[in-house]
Amino acid sequence: MLRITGGKVYDPAHGIDGVVQDICIADGKIVADVGAGRTLDATGMIIFPGGVDIHTHVAGAALNFARGLTPENQRAAAPFLHTKDLRMGLGGPTPTTFATGYLYAGMGYTTVMEAAVPVLSAKHTHEELRDTPIVDKACLVLMANNEIVLDLLEAGETERAKQVVAWLIWAAKVYGVKAVNPGGVAAWKWGKDAKQMVSPIAGYSTLTPAKIIGGLAAIIDDLGLPHPIHLHCNNLGAPGNVSTTLDSIKALEGRRAHLAHLQFHAYGGDDWHTMRSEAVQLASYFNTQKHLTADAGAILFGNAVTITADGPWQHLLYQLTGRKWGNIDVENETGCGIVPYTYKGSNLVNAVQWAVGLELLLLIDDPWRIFLTTDHPNGACFWRYPEIIHLLMNAEYRRECIQKLPPKALKRITLPDLTREYSLYEIAIITSAGPARAMSMPQKGHLGVGADADLTIYNQNPDGAMMFRYPRYVIKGGEIVVEEGDLRKSIEGREFVVKPAFEPQIEDYLRPLFQQCYTMSFENYPVELERVHGLQMADCLPRG
Amino acid sequence: MGGKVTCTLGEVKNRADFIIYWGGNPAECHPRHFTKYTLTQKGKFVPTGRKGRTMVLVDIRETPSAKAADVFLQVRPGKDFEMVAALRALVKGQPVDPALVAETGLTVEQLQDFVNQMKSCKFGVLFFGMGLSMTRGKHMNSASVLALAAELNAFTKFVAMPMRGHGNVTGADVILRYTTGYPFGINLCRGYPRFNPGEFSTVDLLVRGDNDASLILGADPGATMPQPAIEHLARTPTIVLDPKVTHTSKISRVHITTAATGVSAPGTVYRMDEVPLPLRPALKSPYPTDEEVMRRIREAVMKKPAWLPAANGRLAARA
Repeated sequence: MLRITGGKVYDPAHGIDGVVQDICIADGKIVADVGAGRTLDATGMIIFPGGVDIHTHVAGAALNFARGLTPENQRAAAPFLHTKDLRMGLGGPTPTTFATGYLYAGMGYTTVMEAAVPVLSAKHTHEELRDTPIVDKACLVLMANNEIVLDLLEAGETERAKQVVAWLIWAAKVYGVKAVNPGGVAAWKWGKDAKQMVSPIAGYSTLTPAKIIGGLAAIIDDLGLPHPIHLHCNNLGAPGNVSTTLDSIKALEGRRAHLAHLQFHAYGGDDWHTMRSEAVQLASYFNTQKHLTADAGAILFGNAVTITADGPWQHLLYQLTGRKWGNIDVENETGCGIVPYTYKGSNLVNAVQWAVGLELLLLIDDPWRIFLTTDHPNGACFWRYPEIIHLLMNAEYRRECIQKLPPKALKRITLPDLTREYSLYEIAIITSAGPARAMSMPQKGHLGVGADADLTIYNQNPDGAMMFRYPRYVIKGGEIVVEEGDLRKSIEGREFVVKPAFEPQIEDYLRPLFQQCYTMSFENYPVELERVHGLQMADCLPRG
Repeated sequence: MGGKVTCTLGEVKNRADFIIYWGGNPAECHPRHFTKYTLTQKGKFVPTGRKGRTMVLVDIRETPSAKAADVFLQVRPGKDFEMVAALRALVKGQPVDPALVAETGLTVEQLQDFVNQMKSCKFGVLFFGMGLSMTRGKHMNSASVLALAAELNAFTKFVAMPMRGHGNVTGADVILRYTTGYPFGINLCRGYPRFNPGEFSTVDLLVRGDNDASLILGADPGATMPQPAIEHLARTPTIVLDPKVTHTSKISRVHITTAATGVSAPGTVYRMDEVPLPLRPALKSPYPTDEEVMRRIREAVMKKPAWLPAANGRLAARA
């Protein structure tokens, strides 16, 4: 039992904006009052609900592929030494599993969503998540290039497609569905891409990316998944792709959706020389579409590793940069590409990208619908979030950074005109309360009675980067893991899984197809329940 | 630079119309490879099975795998790297010196024909074995065929995959990568992982005699490693966990008999394409599993007093 006194509480889910009040914790939950027990004096400190990362890549076959591909990054990273309570590991753009848990918790984040899991290797993803301590986890399964699903959508068999999607979600033991470059990864299996929303995909006669988006969004609503379709739009990273992004939103036909790493989808221009920000256009349209949420996918200058299921884009990036290229096509389901990348402030395209991420965060007026991410490790490493927070909270510091950009870039962006500064209350929304709501996790992202006792206590500091980089205390599930700024204890996290309703007979349909498409026996395909460590079932609420 | 452009084996089954085996003898070493994944299966986009696929074998001698191949290219021993270099030049349309090509035992015409086939296929795959990766040139050979496959993607879809074997070696590689960041050749003596193949790889440690004890799990280095390494294993305390008597267990100080994984112990095995498969034991064993033995050894070790000085027991600075 624990009582925290004297801290200024920021709990946007309950409209609490910097009010000094006590927080009581018992049995891992926030409670109204506790009797005896430890008291933590937080006088002069700031209390936030634990951070929630709605889109990150921290575990799974693709990330592990990247670790193998870039030993030079691990070598350059500061090590975590083995201690009595903590496991050894390495940081860097693709940290080892234990280091990932320590780095997130050390930054005050207590819940993360691994955003790209193929069913075929989901067993492996859960193994890695089991070894990712402290934080609670959830996964999204890749579905928009699964040829069994695409074949059904092309044939117009939506009811059967729904059954298959539900079965696959449970087979992978995940929380929701991610659609990456719908149709584009399937086309990449033939070395092609899908850039036009209304053109048929390579290998199909009538199926278009727009139909996949609409079809999947409808299925996800019918199944009542807690998190809506998590959409990585087509044409990522390409100049002029804002039109594709707007078309993708239209393809949703008003259904709810979460748009991933929006920064990579908000460019104008015709080629790399004319590329410019279209954040104003996208943000003003997005502001009117109240059924949508998005995460920023901001970039920061420095080393990153781009990892995405968007195979064709990665081939282009490999040709552009001449650096290493990893690619793995996953039978029937998806693919993944990996290219190490360095964002440079002196590079015109990178400068525009840097500005677009911040512009979207500043121009989208409702903080409950735009969340802080870097699409780790694509735009920047997750442990650099505090740098972005500082940029958002301090317009003067932003101006200093803008002055370092190439002068040519200034004509391509609107960031210099933006004077908005985020308040602590708004930061608490975009880092915790908002993503928790978008993920429909009622026990996360707030400090009301009944919530999980996940909270972070900061020393107040005008330098947001310093303040958010080094929390004074981090409490996860009622346990103090960071104390006096030092990670002292590691505990195990949980994993959230949904089981949407499906008819068991769907297996009779899938089994023969499976034998044709795959190379393992059908019985070995689903993830066994006991492989999910700290299983926490979440509910589906079908929407009529 | 190259990298690694690959796929899962189902992609090969469903799409590959051009299959290269280089420095490997799957007919004898991976006897199910042809029938399960690469040649005879009817795939979703290769409906005619074997008829719809072309296979090329590159090796230094005509192994039984050559019988399965449509084309056999016999490269002179130790000249694989030169052959790949010539192929990469031809792929890019650059001239090659016929005299240099002749050193590989092949002609420019043969290589040009090979390149034409690679470029004109719909989905090509290059499997490479230890005949390439463990002979003269070693990792440089692997890097060059991986680069060849990557570069061919400017023309068509092309992937490459190492022909791994030896039980669950891929699984060990996968798990070491996510726990330590590196696949093998890792030194933990400083309390965190360091990677240096050639310095910290098992064979180098043993040949130099750097370690003063060995714990061997699921491997039989006594059968494959050079004599100085084997002598060092025999000279120092060596513990072997294995279901059966092996070359290594015969020279070890302690051999703990364990249940055979997959037969009488459960677990997970990773295929060469890193797809995990669950193992369900068919039989019961009177012996403990590897996991059980390791857990008990660890528990016993944990009871010993810590030897690390307290000052080192702090968390390192952030990355």
